[in-house]
Amino acid sequence: MIPFLHKLISGKYRPLKRKDSRAGAEEPDHKLLMEQLDRQKAFYENILNKLPTDIAVFDPDHRYLFVNPGAISNEEYRKFIIGKDDYEYAAYRNRPASVADMRRAKFLEAKNSGKEIRWEDTLPDPKGNMITHLRRIYPVYDEHGELSMVIGFGIDITERKKMEEKQAELVKQLSAQNRQLTDFCSIVSHNLRAPLVNMSMLTDFIESAQEPEEQKLLITKLRPVIDNLHATFNELVESIQIRQDLEIQREDVCLGDCLQRTIDGLQTEINKLGAKIETDFTQVEVINYPPQYLNSIVHNLVSNSLKYHHPGRPPLISIKTRKEGEKVILSVQDNGLGIDLVKHRENFFKIGKVFHRHPNAKGFGLYMTKTQVEAMGGRIWVESVPDEGSVFYIEFDNRIKQAS
Amino acid sequence: MYLTRRIIASINCPCQINEFTDGELAISHLTSIGERTELLPDVIFLDLSMPVMDGWEFLKEYSELKPKLKKDIALFIVSSSISPQEVERSKGYRAVTDFLIKPVEKRKIIEIMDNVKL
Repeated sequence: MIPFLHKLISGKYRPLKRKDSRAGAEEPDHKLLMEQLDRQKAFYENILNKLPTDIAVFDPDHRYLFVNPGAISNEEYRKFIIGKDDYEYAAYRNRPASVADMRRAKFLEAKNSGKEIRWEDTLPDPKGNMITHLRRIYPVYDEHGELSMVIGFGIDITERKKMEEKQAELVKQLSAQNRQLTDFCSIVSHNLRAPLVNMSMLTDFIESAQEPEEQKLLITKLRPVIDNLHATFNELVESIQIRQDLEIQREDVCLGDCLQRTIDGLQTEINKLGAKIETDFTQVEVINYPPQYLNSIVHNLVSNSLKYHHPGRPPLISIKTRKEGEKVILSVQDNGLGIDLVKHRENFFKIGKVFHRHPNAKGFGLYMTKTQVEAMGGRIWVESVPDEGSVFYIEFDNRIKQAS
Repeated sequence: MYLTRRIIASINCPCQINEFTDGELAISHLTSIGERTELLPDVIFLDLSMPVMDGWEFLKEYSELKPKLKKDIALFIVSSSISPQEVERSKGYRAVTDFLIKPVEKRKIIEIMDNVKL
């Protein structure tokens, strides 16, 4: 059924009809003409119905004049919609009016601007699959410049859309990998090379040293260099493993257990400093996360708080979880040395950055923590006041388990 | 640091060596010298990788301080980094005389010290 087309065709043929009636041979010719018209109508209708896009034609009041099966495959619905608008159709199909609102807005935009309007919309198809269409509507005017109809058509771009999303994801991954590669190069060209250079220089000195005492002194200088190389190498291997473990398994990890493991590992240090550790996991006590990452994150933050404690007071570390919408935020607060964020904010989690004069600071810990957090789609940030302390926050993504 | 000092000492140059373990300590030393130009160094050897204030941060502050220092000080970056980006970056600082990659040969230090005497 395409009434508008019928109207147009009959309009076009009318002069011919009048001429014929004047000739007085109306009856047989009229029948022939009607047959011709029906054939034409069927021909055009067939084309419109077979086009693999969805087509809808509206009158100037946004009522449907025509839809093809590409737009509405069900014949009953297709018949119903003629002469109705999107609101009536939404009510008929028991659908929310939001789609009708959006389409009305686009219709008015095209009608008022007189120009073609394009947009993309994503809606569920009858089977519930999300389908994205690129839609275009444009006004059509008659010979007097009056709006006669608005034609709309849409192309299914779901596949393209999926591809675009995949590509965007890929670009994101690639740029992250590229950044990691830059970090990696910086580790190799500096952090690994530095101890190697030192060892070779020390060896030169040892070889050219005259006194056995001097040689002995030089040899004692080799040990820390080798230890440093060893530690850097291990951390490098560990950080490479994080990158390769993109498919690493998540598990429900109990934060209390995780922290206990850290405390056990750092017990000597905790006792020596008289450190107190408070926890509040009432809001969230279980996080769905790769256990080795969570252990490493908690261990790193707690050991940092101990390492950079304030000399004038025993360390007080407060570890809490908080629910924020779909996300979980873990905070580790201390009363330690703090960091001047005005100077260091940009470099905070960068590799090889060290903010205190501490003999065992290598600038690896926070870099590793950041890598482990971001590898799983989380975020890490810090608030700090020099001489007062620091709070580290980690936001985990929404794959969490509620506290029972 | 121990090694660089040792190399400089090994050329038997009649000079005094002041060491600072990070940029901040070096900057506060230079600031404290103030008007006493005779206490300013002839040459600065700057490592890039240091705690608290690294070599780049030192360069930024030093560049601001330099116009006030009434002495032409040569500054050599001494780094074990072989990254071309860092060499390129160092060229952005007018205060930098040259970029030396560790291990620095004794010859190079002798050359630098000879130039200072001229």
